[in-house]
This record gives sequence, structure tokens and C-alpha cells, in this order.
Amino acid sequence: MESVWIDLLVVFLKIIVILAVALGVGAYLTWVERKVAAHIQRRPGPMVVGWHGLLQPIADGLKLITKEDLFPRYGNRFLYNLALVLALVPATLVFAVVPFGPEFEVFGYKVKPILTDVNVGILLVFGLGSLAVYAIALAGWASNSKYPLIGSMRKAGVIISYEVAITFAVMGPLILAGTLSTYEIVQSQIEQKLWYVWVQPIAFVVYMFSLLAETGRIPFDIQEAEAELVTGFTVEYGGMKFGIFPLVEWYIEVLTLSAIGVVLFLGGWSPINIPFVGFVDPLFFLGPLSPYVWFLLKVTALFLFILWLHWTLPRYRIDQITEIAWKVMLPLALFNIVITSIIAPLIW
Amino acid sequence: MDYVAFLIFLAVMMGVALILVSLNWLLGPKTPQEYEDYPYECGVPLYDRSAQTTFHQGYYLLGLLLLLFDIEAAFLFPWTIVYRWLGVFGFIEMFLFILILTYGLLYAWRKGALRWHFELEEM
Repeated sequence: MESVWIDLLVVFLKIIVILAVALGVGAYLTWVERKVAAHIQRRPGPMVVGWHGLLQPIADGLKLITKEDLFPRYGNRFLYNLALVLALVPATLVFAVVPFGPEFEVFGYKVKPILTDVNVGILLVFGLGSLAVYAIALAGWASNSKYPLIGSMRKAGVIISYEVAITFAVMGPLILAGTLSTYEIVQSQIEQKLWYVWVQPIAFVVYMFSLLAETGRIPFDIQEAEAELVTGFTVEYGGMKFGIFPLVEWYIEVLTLSAIGVVLFLGGWSPINIPFVGFVDPLFFLGPLSPYVWFLLKVTALFLFILWLHWTLPRYRIDQITEIAWKVMLPLALFNIVITSIIAPLIW
Repeated sequence: MDYVAFLIFLAVMMGVALILVSLNWLLGPKTPQEYEDYPYECGVPLYDRSAQTTFHQGYYLLGLLLLLFDIEAAFLFPWTIVYRWLGVFGFIEMFLFILILTYGLLYAWRKGALRWHFELEEM
């Protein structure tokens, strides 16, 4: 009986940490993005509210929650609000299977820094990821206005095209690891002394393309396309309701998919890898904290890479995007599965 | 126990989502004006009250293709996990499966399911 209560307590502590990461860090990433964008364009960015604009996200949040609650008059109120819940909940639930580091002991009690180490972790990620289509399609449809409908159609087309490419791309690492649990995938990379990116470069490239498409980042942000669609499916949303969509799409989903990418291809919390030889840890002086720092460093690097792409590249047309998905990415991913299954016996 | 934690997290997130959705209704001002909830269309009066009409058929074809390929992906996931214990038999089986899959993709490609600009080419 004792252990059940301890388990529940641990679960609640983990949920609090994840919520802090998802909503707190997610909100502050808006500041990071504005600063990075500003410096790419050689301007200072937010400087007025707080030191170097550090209080800007709080000011923005206060502004958003004190706006009037508007609703487009010909729309469907239930679906309009359901779209928000469907956008926020599945995207955040993906954090439940992100492993932040190795198992550790507190007062003789073993704790894994992952909410639930389920044995179908990766399937869960893609199951929840597919639910994003419903949120966006519903948001555009329920607003009953032309720009949102066009934007949501485009976004749904892009997501369902890249959904196929990303599921075939992750099968390469899964063959090598032989498990769907995110924690065990990292473990097997440490045991095999190999980051899977070294033997899965094709899958990694396809994964990164799909990440950009699923999260609606440039060069695949055709659903927003400020110049033609204003902001696409969020046109009829106001206040905090408007705030939720970019928060989910641009920050929470990018964070979770980067974290899953790190888990699948970059060895999770393991330090720098020399293939088949071992690991070199320049951060050894941090002791037991070093795995967490490595995980955060890798996720941050992927996130900044995506920001860099976002603020330097132009945008593709919708038919070009879907053609790239079906004619280039999908054949590459299928080819990668065959190649991986041939070389896999050499790695096990 | 694994899934209990997941369900607790789901319940917490539903609560957070409902709070975030109702914040504006709770804290915002309520001063109705005549055209504040008018659908946005660059300031032009609406020609048609409903925007829920037809859309480009390319999206429909993409949806059909997704159904086929995602179901096939669902068949491949269990295979990736047990491939280590299947050996050569597993490899040949999967190779045939992917061959048929690729043939389906090539068929759709050849039929023009992935081409969106056919109206212009026929002119």
C-alpha cells in the first residue's frame, strides 16, 4: 500500500515538471525565437520590457488573457473550442514518453526521469501526432471563414503527406534497437556504442523534413503564409485562444519532435559518440548531472537549427511540398528500411 | 501502472486546456459591437455567408493515399521489432511487401494522383 502512494506522488511530481517544461519553457521560447530572428536580421529584437526583453513573454501573456472573447458569427461554437483542446492536449501528452536521462536513486527508491516508460512509446508518439490533423481541420472548418478553411486544408494535406514519410523513416532506428520503448532505444544505442544517425543518415534527413512539415515551420509553413492567407487557420481566433495555436505548433511540437529525434538518432542522454568505439564526455566534471545536460544541449541544438532554417529560407508551394513528400521522401524512407534490414545483423 | 500515470496526465492536461480556453471569457471585457464577430475577409462584405464549400480534389486524393500507406505502416511496425529473431525468412517476406508497396506508389504516381496542375497542362 505504501508503494502505491509513493508511486502516485512521483507521478504528480513528474507531471508538474513536465507542465513547467511544456508551458513555461514553451512560452519563453517565443522570446528566444524573437531574439534569434532579430539577430539573424541584424536588429536587437525585444529590448524594452525587462533586461533584454526578458519579461516580454509575461507581458504578452497578460495582454492575451485580457482580450475580449470573440467568436465568428456563422461558425460552430462547440467545434471551435474543441479544436483548441485537441491541439493542446495530444501535443503535450507526447512529453509523457520523452526520457530526460538515465535511472537514478532517491532514498533507495529508483526513479526513471520519464513519466511512463510504456513499451509502445514511439507508436504513442505518432498516434498522438496524427491527432494534430483533427485540431487544425476542425479549427478551419468551425470558423466558417475563407482564409481559415484554405489554411487548414493546406495544413491537413501537408501533415498527412509527411505522416507517411515520418513513420517509414523511424523504422530504421527501430529495426536496429528492436524495441518501441523510448527509454530502451537510448539504452540500446549506449550498449551498441553507436548513435543511429551514423548508420541512418537518410532516415535522419527524412525525419527532419517531416519535423519541419508537421510543425508548420518554414520552408513548409504554407498554412500560415502571412502574405496570402494572413495567418491561415488562426484568423478567427482571438486572445489566449489565438495564443494556444502558435504555442502548440511552433514550440511544444517542435520541442517534443526534437526530443524524439534526439532519442532515435542522436543517442538521447549519451555524450559524444565515436562509432563502435565508445563515448567521449567533455562534461565529465558535472558528474551525475552530465546526461541531463547532454540531452538538453542536443534538443536545444536541434531547436536552434530549426529556428535558423525558419528565418533564412523562402517558402514552397502546397503542390511542391506534397510532391516532395510522396516522390522523394517516401521512396527514400522505403529504400532506407531495406538497406537497414541488410546491415542490421552487422550491428547487433 | 504505466498507463495510470498517462491517464492522470491526460486528465490534468484536459483541465489546463479548459482553463486556457475559458480565460478570455472570464477575464476579458464584454462590450459587444455590431461587426466585431463578422468573418474576416479583408473588410469586404461577405458574398456568401458560409465558407464551407468545395475544395481542391488534390487533398482528397492525398487522404486516400494516406489511408493505404498508413495501414501498411501499421503492419510494418511489429515486423521491425521482431526482425532480429526472424532471420532471412523475415527479410524476404518484408522485401516482397515493400516491393508491392512501392509498386502501388508507382501506380498512383503514373496515374497522376500526385500531380496538381493538370488543368493547365491540358489547355
